[in-house]
Amino acid sequence: MAQSGDQVVDQIAQLNAARNLVLGDAAFYPQIVNGVLPIIGAHARAELRRWGTEFLAETFASPAFATAQKEQLATNVLQTVRSILELPERDQLVLKNIIQTAASLYPLVFRYIIHHPEDKQSWEHIEAIKQDILRRWDSFSFSVKICCIKFAQRVVLVQTHGPIADPRRPEQNETSLAIVPRNHQILSLPNLEAEASGLLDRILAVFQEDTSDPILVNATLNCLAALIRNRQSISNKIINAILNFLPARHARSPMTPTVRVGIKSMERTSRALLINIMKRNPSHPLVTKMQQHIERLMQSRVEPADETSRKRGLPTEPTDGLDDAKRARLDADTPPIFKIPPLPPGRISYAQLFTLTQDAGLSSFDVKQLPADLLVKIVVPLLARVDQSSLNQVIDAVRTRYQTIQKQHIPQAQPAAADEEDDYEPEYQPMDITSPAADQAGAVSADLPGAQPDLVSLGPFVLPRPPPLGEDQAAEAGRGAVARVFGMLATTTITSNPTKGQGQQLGFSRLAGSTFDRDSWVTLLTRLATRAPSGLEASPKPEADRRKPRISESIRETLYRYILEDFRGRVNVGIMWLNEEWYNDRIQMKLTASHRKDEDEEVSVPLHYDPWVLRLLDGFLPYLDSRDIKIFIRFLSEIPEVTIPIAKRIASLAKDPERVSLCVQSFMYLIMFRPPAREICLDALEEVYQNYEESRPSAGKVLSKWRPQRVEQLQSEEATLVNRTVETKLPSINIANGVRDPRTAHLADSQTPS
Amino acid sequence: MAYDPRLAGAGTAAQQPPAPPPPPETASAPAPTSNASTNSTERTDSYKLRFCTVCASNQNRSMEAHLRLSQASSAFPVISFGTGSLVRLPGPSITQPNVYNFNSTSYSQMYDELLSKDERLYRNNGILNMLDRNRNVKWGPERFQDWVPGLPRIDHVSKGDKGAIGTEGGVVDVIITCEERCWDAVVDDLMNKGSPLNRPVHVFNVDIRDNHEEALVGGKAILDLATRLNDTAAQEQKALGAEGWENGIGEARRSFDEKVPEIVASWQEKWPNLPALWTLAWL
Repeated sequence: MAQSGDQVVDQIAQLNAARNLVLGDAAFYPQIVNGVLPIIGAHARAELRRWGTEFLAETFASPAFATAQKEQLATNVLQTVRSILELPERDQLVLKNIIQTAASLYPLVFRYIIHHPEDKQSWEHIEAIKQDILRRWDSFSFSVKICCIKFAQRVVLVQTHGPIADPRRPEQNETSLAIVPRNHQILSLPNLEAEASGLLDRILAVFQEDTSDPILVNATLNCLAALIRNRQSISNKIINAILNFLPARHARSPMTPTVRVGIKSMERTSRALLINIMKRNPSHPLVTKMQQHIERLMQSRVEPADETSRKRGLPTEPTDGLDDAKRARLDADTPPIFKIPPLPPGRISYAQLFTLTQDAGLSSFDVKQLPADLLVKIVVPLLARVDQSSLNQVIDAVRTRYQTIQKQHIPQAQPAAADEEDDYEPEYQPMDITSPAADQAGAVSADLPGAQPDLVSLGPFVLPRPPPLGEDQAAEAGRGAVARVFGMLATTTITSNPTKGQGQQLGFSRLAGSTFDRDSWVTLLTRLATRAPSGLEASPKPEADRRKPRISESIRETLYRYILEDFRGRVNVGIMWLNEEWYNDRIQMKLTASHRKDEDEEVSVPLHYDPWVLRLLDGFLPYLDSRDIKIFIRFLSEIPEVTIPIAKRIASLAKDPERVSLCVQSFMYLIMFRPPAREICLDALEEVYQNYEESRPSAGKVLSKWRPQRVEQLQSEEATLVNRTVETKLPSINIANGVRDPRTAHLADSQTPS
Repeated sequence: MAYDPRLAGAGTAAQQPPAPPPPPETASAPAPTSNASTNSTERTDSYKLRFCTVCASNQNRSMEAHLRLSQASSAFPVISFGTGSLVRLPGPSITQPNVYNFNSTSYSQMYDELLSKDERLYRNNGILNMLDRNRNVKWGPERFQDWVPGLPRIDHVSKGDKGAIGTEGGVVDVIITCEERCWDAVVDDLMNKGSPLNRPVHVFNVDIRDNHEEALVGGKAILDLATRLNDTAAQEQKALGAEGWENGIGEARRSFDEKVPEIVASWQEKWPNLPALWTLAWL
């Protein structure tokens, strides 16, 4: 078989001519391939084998050569391909070509076998080729290995279930397990599928290894797109394998430029693959994960030490096409001179100091509104491309401004310091006359300069004691304090409502005034008015005291006005206050009684409940409306004591024909539900019955229930004594009411069986 | 000559004063490995990697590189493409570009049209010069996405396209893009094509800014990269040819594909202003 070099060169020239022929017209392929097969076989010279295998690879890959014809031709070359592959020689180029050829042949032969199950010979050849390649895969050099990856990808593509485009035209369907009949003589679906599954694992193993060569990773990544796209059953498995692959982990030390090139290429290829998948199928369930992975790849970049730093620091331009802007030859000029606006007069804030723009919108823009990560994205590239001379200009401008301001401040600051020294001595004088309390304060403040000698060089300083307050001043201050608490009432009015429900839950054991809502302030005020000054005000010289308004009286006055301002809304404040007053009166009487000595005959306790309840009633009765019945009845029912004067005030309502029913209903309520006040109220009602014609129908009903005999009597009196004047009756009633002690009336009433 | 301040920071401009297109015929990048290649000229001349250059419009950068590679001392087989949707050339204003279809408009047509439109403008901005160069390289701009790898290109040889000899089979070993966006488009498109040829291809990006001066510098850099790659591949061929791969030891046993990241890294050191990117994809 020995051939001279010249012969080989001639032969290759001839073969090239033949190749040019088929490149010109693909119809010659079968003829040429069959013709060259004996020349390029396993026994030919290496040069011829190289040429031949390359030609075979080109033939079966050529898009110009129809698939159906390739399929027919494929079986013819199997024997040759197998024998070359099984040669012990291991020529890299031949191996590369032969495995590429096998990758193209495999789907063709597989399809041929589907339709020709009787051709066991061909199947045996292709199986042998496949097993040989897969067996020797790991021992090949890198160049051949990458071709093995591609071959395995082809096998997986064929031996999985692909889509059926059109069941009526099976010849158009892609070669896959989907077009293999279930009862095929040679092709066993489960076996083929299992083999593909194992092969896929082997392909994906490159992502799991500790150190993977970039070339193998890239070769794998770039051939996976077709599998993900067309093989639904395995796409998620592949994507997950890619998502778990982080090229930066493969950074070995030392970080040579070669390693950097490899890592960057793996990152970019992973990204390209994921983007390709997402573009094809934007609704893929793993889209968000893929997005995240792309971002992670960007972040984990080793680029900071890499190319970016070497990139030219100019903004990227639209590069699709050749715009004018790109080829505009800009005149070389110095960077623009910035116009530095003068600082505004007066005090300067830091913001003003650094603001160089005169754009009002820009200078008022609050950068803090932007999220931090966005800012980083903006600022870092911005800083990278800031023009150095511009930056210097701007920094100089701010520096000059700052120095100017400093110069302005230094002359001002020194006289101020001198002034302070002048004031130094006079401020010390109060120290000499300090009380023990002031001494303590001085001791405390004296510690400060010791702790921070550099900051405070003025020494201990003690505020002079205020002169003792005069009585008027104290009262003034007291009123001020009260006014302030009322102010609190006003501000907490709104917030009091939501807490009401909670307040009720607190129950009896609660501590009054602990919730800091309106009610608690009212409690505080009422107690301030009633309890705080108790005992102090019972001075031996009542005559002299009366001239001066007392703090408690002023609180009461203010409370009174406060309630009258809006008695409908603040009736509860009034009730609370009056209860406190009544309670305080009881306590005071008890206290005075217990301290009473025999010699003190005239002990007087100033009582506040009676005058204030009447004042309050007089205050709001004129404004009371027939619709205010609920508020009024609530007031009457909750005040601690109903006295005859109160009943008379209620009865006075009947003067107004519109408020008769209000009057009668109030009495009826008190009669029914307030037994201690029943008799007082019945008397008052009787009077109303007698005096006011309009009240008779309603008042008569009430009276007929509680005092039936009296009603009859009144009615008969009415009938017989029509001519009698009203004046003759009035004194008797007045006397009847007058004999009762208002303090004990209810006690007497409660003891009376009803 | 007008001075482009954008080039001020670029070290590439300082290496050699930019020459107006078309580039001088004699220009060839002195590659560090050129000695090795000249020594083995007799053996390696027969072996050539096939190249493909890609930019946005297949006008400026890819064509400059196309010309360079085809005119190099060891003229490489080379084809070129654009990845844009349309061929865009600057017009009278930035909003009025001249737009042409890929694959169906020749450089000559464009030249004639722009010459009749406004000769002064297109002469001054260098477009006519560029189109004149391009029409002497090949017929017209081709779109990468429309390329069918493996489809024979003998007609290009017969038309006399520069660098067409060796690309008759319609396949290439190396694709070099001139912009990351184009690299992304190429890798994405190769995935979409589904790699029917089962043939590995190295895809590089050499980031070149789209102006005449940078295209010249970039063309030199691409030629340098191509020469380095080809030398390594030729060495592999030589090793496999004479002694046989099995007989080689150490470095000699490492294949061309395996050495690509190293080649990129060392090339990058020489061309630090043209950031490079690489992957191994499939045709």
